[in-house]
Amino acid sequence: MVGAAEEAQLNRLETQVDNGGGGAWEYLCHVRKLKARRPDKVLKHGLSILNNAKARSNLGAEEWTLYEQVAIAAMDCQRLDIAKDCISVLSKKFPGSTRVGRLEGMLFEASGAWADAERAYERLLQDSPHDQVIQKRKIAMAKALGNIAAAVEYLNKYLEIFMADQDAWRELAEIYVSLQMYKQAAFCYEELILCQPTDPLYHLAYAEVLYTMGGLENLQTAKKYYASAINFTGGKNTRALYGLCLCSSAINQITKGRNKEDKESPDLQSLVAEALVKDYKKKAPAKLPLVTNTLKSMKLIS
Amino acid sequence: MGGVGFAVGVLGGLLLAHAAYATIQYRGMLKIVEEEFSGPPMNVVVELLVALVLCIFSGLTVPGKFLSILPDSDDNRVVSLPANLDFMIFNHRGRVFPSNADLKLKI
Repeated sequence: MVGAAEEAQLNRLETQVDNGGGGAWEYLCHVRKLKARRPDKVLKHGLSILNNAKARSNLGAEEWTLYEQVAIAAMDCQRLDIAKDCISVLSKKFPGSTRVGRLEGMLFEASGAWADAERAYERLLQDSPHDQVIQKRKIAMAKALGNIAAAVEYLNKYLEIFMADQDAWRELAEIYVSLQMYKQAAFCYEELILCQPTDPLYHLAYAEVLYTMGGLENLQTAKKYYASAINFTGGKNTRALYGLCLCSSAINQITKGRNKEDKESPDLQSLVAEALVKDYKKKAPAKLPLVTNTLKSMKLIS
Repeated sequence: MGGVGFAVGVLGGLLLAHAAYATIQYRGMLKIVEEEFSGPPMNVVVELLVALVLCIFSGLTVPGKFLSILPDSDDNRVVSLPANLDFMIFNHRGRVFPSNADLKLKI
């Protein structure tokens, strides 16, 4: 989870480092902590530390973490030569390590030598059959090869053993959404909400899946989850506000002409529409007419 | 601020100790004049109240700042999920955008 203050600090550090203001190590630590994916910046600033013998020795034992970080960033940028150099330094320092073995496997993956990568991972799994990271790499490899069905199968098998792995649940949910298997995706998001009941983004994603499935009951549940996402973000998540608007207008259309009991109370709808208009007035006044017209056509404001 | 808060806390502790000492003395005096002990004298009560305020002040300032517990405050509000790095794959557009060729690891 990345908080608003943490993200702001990361961006501040990034501009500072990019403009030559120093603090490269702090920035790299922050990237690692927040698990952000910024390979080009990590590669540039990480190498500037690694190539400076004095700065490197100041890091102490953290030096090897940096080598690993830079190696992965280099693979992400397709700079396999740099990745190879980093990995050879690491394997000289830690011969026979599983973590370095995983990096070697990833290097095979990045260069497209899938059979070699498969073999490397199999060998590592023989030594430690319950290594989660290696099993995840195998799943990712199936995905990279376009073999989504196999990836789903592996993931399901993996989750039967490691049920508390949130990252894996999230990955499975995203794959199911990409396959338009919304019922299964909804199940995964339910698991995620159970793990992290206060994370608004899971509530939001669950609501979106339910809204996509449609039907009165699903829409009503979706509306509740959009509302809880708004609750957890203090109304600062525009996507949740829009979702609530769409849900309300869809429910209104379905229940049109029915008796009063099924109908939604108009209070929440107008409140959300007002919040949206207020937000746009403050942050993007140029887009305000567009928003008011849309909301008017959905009959949420008059 | 930390130094000042600490000094205030020490002062509060000393006042408490003095209040205890004054009470003991007062009871000793009561024994001499052979009266019943009904309650601490006024100056001790005032001293205790002042010490309480000082100790609360230092207890609140010395340990550090308060952190927000509201889910929608800037410290706690979740704005994005971390990139799912365990499942990262490399066939993306990074291949098409070559990075700066000067970058190189010097061994």
